Amino acid sequence: MLRQPLSRALALSSPARVAPLAARRYADAVPAQPEKVEVFIDDQPVHVLPGTTVLQAAAQVGVEIPRFCYHERLAVAGNCRMCLVEVEKSPKPVAACAMPVMKGMRVKTNSDLTRKAREGVMEFLLVNHPLDCPICDQGGECDLQDQSMAFGSDRSRFTDIHFSGKRAVEDKDVGPLIKTIMTRCIHCTRCIRFASEVAGVDDFGTTGRGTEMQVGTYVEKMFLSELSGNIIDLCPVGALTSKPYSFAARPWETRRIDSVDVLDPLGSNIVVATRTNEVLRILPRTNEEINEEWLSDKSRFACDGLKRQRLVTPMLKDSRGNLAPVEWEDAVVAAARALRDCPPDKLLAVAGGLADAEALVALKDLLNRLGSEHVCTEHYFPTQGAGTDLRSSYLLNTKIANVEDADFVLLIGTNTRFEAPLLNARIRKAFIHKETDVALVGPKVDLTYEYTHVGDSASIVKDFASGTSSHEVMKRLQQAKRPVVILGADQLKSEEGPALLAYTQELAHKLQENLQDKEWKVLNVLQRTASQVAALDIGYQPGVGQALAAGPKVVYLLGADSGVVTRESLPEDVTIIYQGHHGDVGASIADIVLPGAAYTEKRATYVNAEGRAQQTLVAVSPPGKAREDWKIIRALSEVLGAGLPYDTLDEVRDRLSQVSPALVAYGDVQPNNYFAQARALAQSLQKPVSGKLDVQLKQLEDFFMTDAISRASPTMAKCVQAVLKQKNSPY
Amino acid sequence: MAGTGRETVRAAIRQVRPIMSTDFWEARRRALGLYKAFYRYIPYIVKYFDIPKTENDCRWKIREYFYKNACVTDIRVIDLLVLKGYMELKEITHSWSQKGHIMAYWQPTVERKPCDFICKFLTGVD
Repeated sequence: MLRQPLSRALALSSPARVAPLAARRYADAVPAQPEKVEVFIDDQPVHVLPGTTVLQAAAQVGVEIPRFCYHERLAVAGNCRMCLVEVEKSPKPVAACAMPVMKGMRVKTNSDLTRKAREGVMEFLLVNHPLDCPICDQGGECDLQDQSMAFGSDRSRFTDIHFSGKRAVEDKDVGPLIKTIMTRCIHCTRCIRFASEVAGVDDFGTTGRGTEMQVGTYVEKMFLSELSGNIIDLCPVGALTSKPYSFAARPWETRRIDSVDVLDPLGSNIVVATRTNEVLRILPRTNEEINEEWLSDKSRFACDGLKRQRLVTPMLKDSRGNLAPVEWEDAVVAAARALRDCPPDKLLAVAGGLADAEALVALKDLLNRLGSEHVCTEHYFPTQGAGTDLRSSYLLNTKIANVEDADFVLLIGTNTRFEAPLLNARIRKAFIHKETDVALVGPKVDLTYEYTHVGDSASIVKDFASGTSSHEVMKRLQQAKRPVVILGADQLKSEEGPALLAYTQELAHKLQENLQDKEWKVLNVLQRTASQVAALDIGYQPGVGQALAAGPKVVYLLGADSGVVTRESLPEDVTIIYQGHHGDVGASIADIVLPGAAYTEKRATYVNAEGRAQQTLVAVSPPGKAREDWKIIRALSEVLGAGLPYDTLDEVRDRLSQVSPALVAYGDVQPNNYFAQARALAQSLQKPVSGKLDVQLKQLEDFFMTDAISRASPTMAKCVQAVLKQKNSPY
Repeated sequence: MAGTGRETVRAAIRQVRPIMSTDFWEARRRALGLYKAFYRYIPYIVKYFDIPKTENDCRWKIREYFYKNACVTDIRVIDLLVLKGYMELKEITHSWSQKGHIMAYWQPTVERKPCDFICKFLTGVD
């Protein structure tokens, strides 16, 4: 199967295409390292592997060669010519990004010839590039702007444009996220390469040639990808800019705060750009082990939801049953009274998908002090067998970065493309660059790469586990040297969930036993929310089903907005206390509302699907009277007379580390190894299964609005509309 | 030259000219004298200035102001503070200061910063 055009496949096999070795522990033992060749960059000797390009060799000695079209994570195009350098004994300057090194090559990156070549290229690029920097959104972070200052000339010899005018290109409409000003395009083709290689949506391309060349989607079409926002970052000029952020701010006006995304379970690293206490935009931050340098559209563009539908003041239900704003004192006293007057066994706390670890541990401590053990998460996980006692049962054990080293990926009941877009991008990367094959048990969905669809019946997993399946995927799995099995956590909430988990554990264990690489982990469970892993680590009970059936008198919702707790499922006289940041499902059924802080407004710990603890930092202050979440619970505990023993964030984190040191080991993943024990405990659960696996997010329009923040975001709503409109278009 | 300079400095340190007191106990006596003078005038302050404070409140306030400087050991500084204290007492006894000036000792317009967790939480201060 040829997965990419041949020319590209050749270029891609160069060593620089794969992730840096530091991030890959399971790299193939490189067969007999070929001898390194010595080259000289500006007379500095450097030893590199044959096949390395001049540009990469230069980067190794810290010489940065200017470039527009070259990008580390994309195929080499070599069409901008900005990286021209002089090579001794070569008659013409060579393009450093595409030229492999040769023994004894002497490269001059700062000679007269090189400088003249760059100046010439700049002159050509600027013939048709409009001089609209003052009204261009890229201004201040524009590669063309920077490089024309550094390498360009102060005048142009192309005077004919004074008479004929510059080239003008019609703008394209590629959806509500990306604004295109195609006149500014310098044809670097980064967006085209990203779309076809990383996003897997081959809609972009070029038409025409010479001055007539245009980058576009051939027919007017939306860029139907969950990773589309990344082409904004990739574009070296202002041709592709962010539509929601257009004309909002200049980069030098904003403060940038490093943080972590919570809208999907991967915990992508982000930079939050703020000004005047307002989140303006969110950009990805490079982390080779999680998101590389990409970011999914929901994480990037849902930030305008942080300004809308916010709970800004505590509220109490008045005599007519309407929520009325009150002071904190009244709300806390009312909540404390409700909690105090409730018998401990009728008390229930439910944590939602955006809750941070500090709030989770404080809430659990508070309820434990009141004598209740009913602290649940919204998402279910089987408690039979080993349940959530063994951490390896509910984590993505292979780790995100290692997935690209897998040679066979089996997805069970999960649409990784929308549940964890960047994990899917990794699988796609492995599929394209490493000949990894993928099989899916579950409904047929578009994963952006080819896969073997085994069927959607749960009994297939049973057959795989028992080894009775005659499907070719079974054989492939058994032969695989580094197989990965990913089970969607959504499948576990059904009746057959425990059995499905037991079979998956069985299958993973059998595969793992036969592996040569004993360090390789096979079993993965992909959680759906950012808080679930932390909640399970802290000791929350997964799922609310049983607790709701017991008829609680007081329900404390900690950002529980997924709609599993409803008025109908609770007794008439129940008091619902909602603590969270958005007026969403949870707040609408509440009697007492306590406004909390969103993830950009607090320093908080989140544990991603791999079990990696990361912290968000305060980018803006919480709106109105909203407070940090753990503080609300701490204040409540004091009014209740069951004061929690921590007053500062550091003390809460000490408490977290008492619960599990992994929760405060920021940036690290602790290895988990109790697969055999979990499987042994689950063996009795291997009952016949007959159901069908279904996933919640099937189409792109399902992806955009999945939580309180993205549901409040107008941009996300526009995306859904645009995708639906595109569905009706003949293209 | 340099040697003589150091010599003079040392001499200056050795023999600082006292303001009033020559040793610590004398300075202490003066401070107690000031304290007693204030103490005895308290009933008149309450009476003449018509302040919403009791004699006891005033005693505590004077005590507080004296204790504020309890750590001062330098005799010259003690003397200086005692002199300033007498000047303030004179302003009061001669009615140069008025009701507002007296009340200012209690700083009625300064809002206390919240110090425990719950107060900080309710006021929204970190």
